[in-house]
Amino acid sequence: MKRIAIDPITRLEGHGKIMIFLNEEGKVDNAFLQIPELRGFEKFVEGLPIEEVPRVVTRICGV
Amino acid sequence: MKLKIGIYWGAACGGCDVAILDTHEKLLEIADMADIYLWPVAMDFKYSDVRAMKDGFLDVALFSGGVRNSENEEIAKLLRKKAKVMIALGACAQLGGVPGLANMYTREDILKRVYLESESTTNPGGVLPLESARADGHDLDLPRLYNAVKTLEQVVDVDYTIPGCPPASLQIYSALGLIADDMLPKKGSVIGAGDRALCDECPRKKGEKTITKIYRTHEKLPDAETCFLEQGFICLGVATRSGCGSRCIKSWTPCRGCYGPLDDVADQGIKMLTALASVIEPKEEKDINAVLDQVIDPVRTFNRFGLAASMLRRRRT
Repeated sequence: MKRIAIDPITRLEGHGKIMIFLNEEGKVDNAFLQIPELRGFEKFVEGLPIEEVPRVVTRICGV
Repeated sequence: MKLKIGIYWGAACGGCDVAILDTHEKLLEIADMADIYLWPVAMDFKYSDVRAMKDGFLDVALFSGGVRNSENEEIAKLLRKKAKVMIALGACAQLGGVPGLANMYTREDILKRVYLESESTTNPGGVLPLESARADGHDLDLPRLYNAVKTLEQVVDVDYTIPGCPPASLQIYSALGLIADDMLPKKGSVIGAGDRALCDECPRKKGEKTITKIYRTHEKLPDAETCFLEQGFICLGVATRSGCGSRCIKSWTPCRGCYGPLDDVADQGIKMLTALASVIEPKEEKDINAVLDQVIDPVRTFNRFGLAASMLRRRRT
């Protein structure tokens, strides 16, 4: 089975990859969007003084 | 001859890329001095294009973001091979940056919070990201999430660093000018920044510092003219490289150190702690500690951008 990788997907903020699997006739059998990144803001803002949170979460996306 | 450059991001927010775009009309001059061969946020090149380049094909790689997973490391090493000059762009590449605060926790703590516990997540099957998985008969793989964020220098040889979160746009422009004009200083230098402490360019008035109480920003309105630290607000200006244009200070916001340490300072957080300890008014250890105890989150206050590069570095277990 043939695989097409679109890696990385571009012109957006963040990381992404698309895997496309073709069947014997060359038609799309299945496709997957994968997000290969994780930074973990959900965890490391825990316990942060509330007045500091805006200065940290603005670094989730700078675009 | 036009420079060939590649611009890439690891564990980043894209703010460094936007800082390049924020050079506004000077972007046209950048386009005159350089051809771009990789820039995921703005142009459609693939990793396969980079792999197909001859080694040393690129004159410069600008790498923003820290190294959080195996893909970041793989592309950092790939670009190191393909570029004559490797530049760490921004606080995350230089020091780990804000995403480096994840080093206070283990990989497992983070995965659990994000995928199992977070209030906005529904995941009844308790599915976690896997390095390789089979879905509907297809094999899929993902990069390996490392146990800690690393700086660029911790995985590849870095030639120059442009600091900041984000780097000031004009500083990026002037650093690119150094490359185009073949005026780069000695390898390992910080470019696109000052060589003094931020305090030296801060417009606020500085006098004798005698701190008896540390204030959080909601506890007292700072006056408009006096040094934040003198007023009892933690400000990292004394331990931070100049070059940002005092942009936070001018917005009535104390510095958190995004331009990183000065040359020959091994640990920005410890430098700040030392500076703070020296301006506490009480002189008895017990009384000094009583003031320092008022810093409610010392790790993330003194190492806001530099935890991954600091001596604390990361949680082990």
